[in-house]
Amino acid sequence: MSPQSYTDGQLGAVAAQALERRAARDDTANRSGRKGFFTDTTLCIGCKACEVACKQWNQLPDDGLIFTGMSYDNTAALGASTWRHVAFVERPVALSTQDAGAFSWLFSSDVCKHCNRAGCLESCPTGSIVRTEFGSVYVQPDICNGCGYCVVSCPFGVIDRRESDGRAWKCTLCYDRLKGGMEPACAKACPTDSIKFGDMEELLRTARARVDGLREQGMHEAYLYGDDAASQPGTEGLNAFFLLVEKPEAYNLPPDPVVPTRNGQDAWRSFAFAAVGMIATAIGSAMASRKAAR
Amino acid sequence: MSTKVQEITRYPDSVDPVKTDGRDVDRGLADLIGEASHQNAEPKDQHIQEIAEAPWRNVPSVAREDPTYFDRPMLKKSVWSPDIPIYYFLGGAAGAALTLGAALQLVSRGHYDRVRQLSEACHWIGIVGSTGGALFLIHDLGRPSRFLYMMRVFRPTSPMNMGVWILAGAAPTAITTGLLINRRGIWGRIGEVTGYASGVFGAALAGYTGVLVSNTAIPVWQQSRRWVPVMFMASSAAAAASVIDLISADEVTRSVTRVFGAVGRAAEIAATYKTEQVAAAIPKVGEALHRGGPGALWRLATVLTAASLGVSFFAGKSRKKVVVAGWLGAAGSLCLRLAVHYVGNASALDPKASFHQQRNA
Repeated sequence: MSPQSYTDGQLGAVAAQALERRAARDDTANRSGRKGFFTDTTLCIGCKACEVACKQWNQLPDDGLIFTGMSYDNTAALGASTWRHVAFVERPVALSTQDAGAFSWLFSSDVCKHCNRAGCLESCPTGSIVRTEFGSVYVQPDICNGCGYCVVSCPFGVIDRRESDGRAWKCTLCYDRLKGGMEPACAKACPTDSIKFGDMEELLRTARARVDGLREQGMHEAYLYGDDAASQPGTEGLNAFFLLVEKPEAYNLPPDPVVPTRNGQDAWRSFAFAAVGMIATAIGSAMASRKAAR
Repeated sequence: MSTKVQEITRYPDSVDPVKTDGRDVDRGLADLIGEASHQNAEPKDQHIQEIAEAPWRNVPSVAREDPTYFDRPMLKKSVWSPDIPIYYFLGGAAGAALTLGAALQLVSRGHYDRVRQLSEACHWIGIVGSTGGALFLIHDLGRPSRFLYMMRVFRPTSPMNMGVWILAGAAPTAITTGLLINRRGIWGRIGEVTGYASGVFGAALAGYTGVLVSNTAIPVWQQSRRWVPVMFMASSAAAAASVIDLISADEVTRSVTRVFGAVGRAAEIAATYKTEQVAAAIPKVGEALHRGGPGALWRLATVLTAASLGVSFFAGKSRKKVVVAGWLGAAGSLCLRLAVHYVGNASALDPKASFHQQRNA
């Protein structure tokens, strides 16, 4: 069955519901099979093969051709039809292990972080966004109604709505490839293995060893971004984490992202007080009418 | 030049790449089975066009202190059209009117009581506002035909999902009340019960949008999340009082709106001030409330509401002044919701607002 017939049929909606129920159960029950990305930015050469592989495999349309004029980065940002984006950071600062004068070039292939606690998933009013059995966050295109709430709920600015499509899209961690036992297209295409895909436990071990190794070589700036809940409590850790050598802001990553729903109770509490206040005012005003009507 | 490009056929049997939807593959020859293969796309979707710039005069680089990525936005601004702030206004006014209607129903005595008639007027404002607001809400969806998909789950973590359930409670109970409240016997009793129910749903409808807005990654509303819902609730009450003043003119109406309107407008101004103060704790975050068009809209909302409060206070028995106060109050509330929308967009596009907020949390 082609995805076209699957998503457009009513049968598809029922099947998707069943899938979602299963995913919801897996979300709480099964975190051991988590898969993810470890993006080691010190190995990235800025070739953008990941961007191309992603576009090709997922058959993503282009976003229009532009010239940003700021660097070799003419992709500019992640979006509905751009699920990998290589950032080109140009700094007037020397990198400790490089000998290029007071200048360094940092590349980083950005992607959906598949947060352990995901703002888009928790804010989605249709239940279109689900947690898969691989721990990734997946938007079901046959459920999404394009409300756009996930777009403002993502603390990384990853997910977006495509104009003529009317639905929200983002990286799927190549859900279809994972189902077929393959690694995501970007990781497969990466020529330097800057993008590593695998089991989260394995990736974390690799990443921590890599940081230690880099520090031994003298690159003391190296650190892991979002590797676990301790380092990034606002998202409870990322399933796509990074090794960086500069402040996260330089790569356009938030220094301490917090999934908005974590603070939801603050707003709901104020809301409750205000509602009680308005009901009291309404009753008070109504009493005044009694006097006037007499 | 461009016509020349179109004349070139890159692959003899393939579609002209210039005329494809941007995938640059022949849909007839390729198997469209990728995850995004059914993403509707047209070549005119120039999503990132707005970020293209004239070439830099100096080669830019990323600053050592307080860096950003070439000042590019870190977050996405909302994809909502002004439909959404208009919905905040309509739904809010409707919700507060329903609550006031239920309160009037509570104190009224019998069917032909003037207070009861005013209560009914409130219910009808609620009916028109909530159904009209729902139309704006649906119109803004990327896939309007899938509106009901919002009701396939009950998800407390999503204020938007909660809001749909609130709206699904408020509008039908209001309509039932409007149709039944004057019937005799059991139907009338049902109308009474739904009237009170619509009052409770109404209070929720009047303020949940404030939770919806502050429960986002947008730095300015995330920062002032404890005050935005209060601001929305008060603004809804002010809007409801204003609308009632515009459609009903007698001493009983005035006795109600004088209190309800004054409290609503004063609370709106106070909550707006508090919101601004809390946001200003981090200068970069508070900046969006003062900058450019959105900032002016924000300021204008307070001016209109304050004017409405003043004119209403000194209106006395003048119908003309009451009407002016009503228009000013409604305009102030609408203006505030529009300001929230546009200030939010501006704040989302300012990367330093997010960075500074998170560094100073």
